[in-house]
Amino acid sequence: MKKIVTTLLVAGALSVTLSAKNWVVNQKGKTFIPSKLTVHVGDTITFDNSDPFAHNAYTDDEANEFDVGMQPTGKETHMKIKSKESFNVECAIHPNMLLEVTVE
Amino acid sequence: MKKSHAIISVLLLVSVNTYASDALAEGKRLYNETCISCHGATGATDTDIKLIVKPRKLKESILSAAQMVKIISEGGHTYGAHSDIMPAFKYVYDKAQIKSIAEYVSQTFNSQRNARVKKHLSEANVQKIDAQKMYKIGKKIFKRNCSLCHGLKGDGKSIYVEQSKANKEFLYPYDLRKTILSEDQIFLMVKFGAHYWGADKEDMPSWKKKYNDTKLRSVAHFVKTKIVGTD
Repeated sequence: MKKIVTTLLVAGALSVTLSAKNWVVNQKGKTFIPSKLTVHVGDTITFDNSDPFAHNAYTDDEANEFDVGMQPTGKETHMKIKSKESFNVECAIHPNMLLEVTVE
Repeated sequence: MKKSHAIISVLLLVSVNTYASDALAEGKRLYNETCISCHGATGATDTDIKLIVKPRKLKESILSAAQMVKIISEGGHTYGAHSDIMPAFKYVYDKAQIKSIAEYVSQTFNSQRNARVKKHLSEANVQKIDAQKMYKIGKKIFKRNCSLCHGLKGDGKSIYVEQSKANKEFLYPYDLRKTILSEDQIFLMVKFGAHYWGADKEDMPSWKKKYNDTKLRSVAHFVKTKIVGTD
């Protein structure tokens, strides 16, 4: 019985891991590309700075709160979706950059 | 007696007008002798000069004539510009000459400045909140946004600037500790961005889409009370 439960737990965890997706968002021309994303809890968003200057990405959403700090050209940063609450990501340096993230 | 008073008044008026017009003519002459090479014939920076930081379009400047006198005399660096590309002309011209240049620029290229500033200030929708609350809001936004370029101390030194330099992205945020801008002017600069006020690029962007007037006014209040004059 114990063995079966363990197997089921491992399989469950594996399926969550396998189904979790990584979404790449490019920071280019002072915009997030794409500017809208629909994701699931457990997914990861990778921010990839292609601009010749530094960027930042943050959200003030309490459930998914994160701030990558300073992100130089060519650097990738990652955020994991922790909560089923939609939120916006902004750049603290460039006020017109906006990424709308819908969590399903 | 009355007649002689009237004659004296007319003579004084004529002499004041002549003096003003002479000063303006002198300002034009000096401008065309020196300033024109960077700022252009119409104050629109319509020149071929190649500088790291393109000179400001004087016809869009937020500065009053009195503030221009300070910048022309002491140079941009003294009042927070990163470089000394705008040099101190007090070694070249005397006070009267510098004043005449500032008056010429203000009256000829930038005659709409006062009306423009006044219009934007009267249109601003700033809620009345106490100074302490304003300071708190301004501090939070300054730390979150402004400090990434201007530094936490407002001295224009930040990681962003260093990283951008490495990528040959020329970005030179002002040392806010030295600015001569008033709180009203800082508010308008933050709201509309430096490009709107004559800077070549959008390095200092407009924050009006992100924050409302009350919040932007709070930033200006924080900068003026906490940062300016601390160097």
